[in-house]
Amino acid sequence: MFRALAMSKVQLVIPEQVVIPVTEALATSGVFHPTLNRYFSPEDTPDHAGQWRDWVNAFTTLERRILDVMEALAVDEGTPPTETPHLIEPDEATLDVERLEHETLTCVRELENQKQHMAQLQRYISQLKPIASLNAGMDTVRNLQYLFAMMGTIPIANLERLRSSLEHVPFKLVTLRRDEYLATVVLFGTKRDAEILTRAARSAYLNPLNLPEMYRGTPAEAIEALQTGIERTQERVDGLQADIDRLHEERIGHLRSLLWRVRASRTLSQTIAHYGRLRYTYLVEGWTPVARIPLLQENIKRVSNEVLVEVAPPQSRQEAGTPVALEQVSPLRAFQSLVTTYSQPLYGELDPTPLMAITFPLIFGIMFGDVGHGLLLLLLGILLASRAIKKLRGMASFGAIVIACGVTSMIFGFLYGSVFGNENLLTALWVHPLEEIMNILIATIGIGTILLSVGMVINIANAALLRRWGHLLFGHNGLANLIFYWALLGLAWNILPEMLGLEESFRLPESLVGVLPVIAVIAALMVALSEILENLLEGHRPLVKDSLGTYLVQLPVEIFEMLISLFSNTLSYVRMGAFAVAHGTLSLVIFIIADMAGAGTVGYWVVVVLGNLFVVGFEGMIVGIQTLRLEYYEFFSKFFAGGGASYHPLILVPRKET
Amino acid sequence: MSVTSVSTYSMVHATVRALYSMMLGPDTWTALVQAKDLDAVFSILSKTAYSSHLILKDITPRRAAHQIRRRLADTYEKLIRLLPGEGSQLLLWLWRLYEVDDIKAVLRGIEAHASWEQILLLLHPKPKHALLSLETMQRMVLSGDVARAIEFTNHTPYYNALVHAVERYKTEKSLFPLEVALDLDHHRRLWESVEKFGDLDRTWALRIVGSMIDMDNLLWAIRYRIYHHLSEEEIINYTLPFGYQVRDEHIRAIASGADVAEVLKRIYPEIPVAENIEDESSAGKGLQALELTLQRRIAVQCRAAFIGDPFHIGIPLGYLMLSEYEIRDLTVLIEAKASRLPTETFGRIMIFQSTAYADTAALR
Repeated sequence: MFRALAMSKVQLVIPEQVVIPVTEALATSGVFHPTLNRYFSPEDTPDHAGQWRDWVNAFTTLERRILDVMEALAVDEGTPPTETPHLIEPDEATLDVERLEHETLTCVRELENQKQHMAQLQRYISQLKPIASLNAGMDTVRNLQYLFAMMGTIPIANLERLRSSLEHVPFKLVTLRRDEYLATVVLFGTKRDAEILTRAARSAYLNPLNLPEMYRGTPAEAIEALQTGIERTQERVDGLQADIDRLHEERIGHLRSLLWRVRASRTLSQTIAHYGRLRYTYLVEGWTPVARIPLLQENIKRVSNEVLVEVAPPQSRQEAGTPVALEQVSPLRAFQSLVTTYSQPLYGELDPTPLMAITFPLIFGIMFGDVGHGLLLLLLGILLASRAIKKLRGMASFGAIVIACGVTSMIFGFLYGSVFGNENLLTALWVHPLEEIMNILIATIGIGTILLSVGMVINIANAALLRRWGHLLFGHNGLANLIFYWALLGLAWNILPEMLGLEESFRLPESLVGVLPVIAVIAALMVALSEILENLLEGHRPLVKDSLGTYLVQLPVEIFEMLISLFSNTLSYVRMGAFAVAHGTLSLVIFIIADMAGAGTVGYWVVVVLGNLFVVGFEGMIVGIQTLRLEYYEFFSKFFAGGGASYHPLILVPRKET
Repeated sequence: MSVTSVSTYSMVHATVRALYSMMLGPDTWTALVQAKDLDAVFSILSKTAYSSHLILKDITPRRAAHQIRRRLADTYEKLIRLLPGEGSQLLLWLWRLYEVDDIKAVLRGIEAHASWEQILLLLHPKPKHALLSLETMQRMVLSGDVARAIEFTNHTPYYNALVHAVERYKTEKSLFPLEVALDLDHHRRLWESVEKFGDLDRTWALRIVGSMIDMDNLLWAIRYRIYHHLSEEEIINYTLPFGYQVRDEHIRAIASGADVAEVLKRIYPEIPVAENIEDESSAGKGLQALELTLQRRIAVQCRAAFIGDPFHIGIPLGYLMLSEYEIRDLTVLIEAKASRLPTETFGRIMIFQSTAYADTAALR
């Protein structure tokens, strides 16, 4: 729970003829993290990567085409298959896609055409309506003997330009109707200027009304015929829609399976393109958790006995590129994401997730202690975790964090005696922050010192695990620093009771007080000389990187900086108490404003409800940010190096979320 | 200078000034032009503001040009975010020139049965405010049909113009009506954005964007008459009735067959006009020279925006146009170095050669 899984380096020599099934087996096992190929192909071997890259491009295009067919048939991607699909060759997939496109897109495009045809018929009607009362046949208008007439639609923006382009010829442009973008117009002129008028009209994008021959007669008769045409087209549209619905039912399974297979094939091709290559073999290198090596070997053996698998002994220390596999139990996974947002732990370093799961809600609860507000957070957390609201599903992983914060807020709410900002309903089990400000501030400093000390202890444990003994004893945040910190705290503890008027029993024994300054000075010198002492103990030379003179000049500055740093880190935790007080004050303000609206009135309750929602939303967010700040900058900085590489095992299709 | 303009443009001005100071200086240009090969060019560029956009691994001239363009897209994104309403609208429409180019590239690609991978290399980088994502453009290409591809633009302002013009595409089997409709519609909207400004902003928007519209309008009119042999009415309908210095009467004069050089002299008495501008057999050299002259003229206008009162739209507009020209020149240079062309061949077609640092006082 506190450490990442132990990893072993695995090297494979795969004969060319089994590279595909072996890669599929690697993906099926889901435990092999491939690393970038470090082998260079000999010059006389064919460019194998180029061929696989071509396949990647082909699969990308095929995926797009399948998605288009799926969209046309209103088929969604569905869930990824439980079994890893096998590679499909691009040619085979292309044939399949072409067949699907043919049977689907023919139908879909015919439907689009019919819909467009219907829209066109409707446009004809709207263009004819302004002249519906004209008692002359459309053919007569078309075939005038001395007059040129062109009826059609034109972008409104082009109307003036068309007029001005015809200033040398007699014409009349009549606007029958104006819509948002287009106008229905009739352009009249003499038959002699027909060519000029036609060219001008065409260049002004006047699309003539070309009524098909079947719609003859007067405009009124043509409109009637067009309406009949619309009804016929609608019937055809309904028929085609039924065909598409049938295709949806018949092809839904095949389309989804083909899509995932093509996607898996693309990932597989991409992976192989990165393998090293000799003349007849592929060289593959990667990492696998030690406990999963048998599973990996078994999966490979199942497809081929010709693969040479070399497993290195478990990795004990961090090496460049060693991936870090963190495996936390379900409720801790949400907190793991908070840790990895800061940084991935180094291989061999302690995983701070379990500690984060305790300290994060604790710090949040101290700052946001309120039974009512905590309950709201708890309910919100349950809502998020339940995935009940589709739009909030992406935040489901945060549900556990919000639940934990809600629970601690409620616990501290009971300790502070606060319900929705009202401090008169409950008796405080500990303190009312507003009434005992000094106590709560001192208490939070106490919690801060404990957290900082825990951080340093973990740092010591990390150094022991990484066998960095010098760092363990003398490093910043090592044993010497911890002793220095506690010696300072002891000295401070001796002065505090006098300053705060506490009882004598709080004082430390005189004998210990006398020794503490000596311990503090020795420990401070050890930390200040850490570079020399660490190098001495770990056998590194030279002992000092720069000149000894410079080093000695820096020594007092180092001690001063260390002192300031410990002081500021400790004081930083005062904000926990300050926020607890601020929370009470903000709630108080809400009740004062509510009282101004009149106690017991509707306005009073509106202010109380909105004010509390504001506190939960706005202050809750700020407290969340402050909690993260304390975790990342005060706590983590004491022990967490980070900078490790994430573990991404090869998989061909995403696993279902659990 | 009003308080409003100071508050509106102070942040933009500071940002643009910082960006402006990072443009390539005369020494860098000299070093680039004199670079012995493409590697030397990339080595110089990796020490400039373009370094964060250049990925030198597996770089090719085309990839380099595309990566350099990314910087311009990022700058547009930044300035559009910083500017309030009208300013950001104008910049959006100015950026959409690239999107219009991309639509044309996609439609031409469909006509030529080019693959998506081939077309992709011709497209501009897509910033957040792009209306057509790369995925949509890929779907347009994969549809394999111009009319169907246009349907993918139905959520954009380009749709109405395209869908109306597609009727002509269907009967004429040419992309010409689609491209002209798209250009005219875009330029009208760009002009409408300019007209929304008042006072100093309007003056600068007219000087820079208006000059750009002038250039396009003039070149269209000349091209339609000399190379497409269109009638007077057609030329009028395929051009715009507005502009900064180019008036409708100038366009009409060209459309009606007047001497082009004479018309140009009336508009720009100070610029030299090539004698072969109407010579169809010179393969457009005269027109190319005119375009280059007008671009250099706009570049000078853009630099002039940085002198005097700094709180106006001319500052971001000027920087963006100069940045566009700088990238165009860099693209020419990279292609030329890749083809090992001598300096005198490509130097002639670079905008910043000779006038880049000219005295701008005459134009103010």
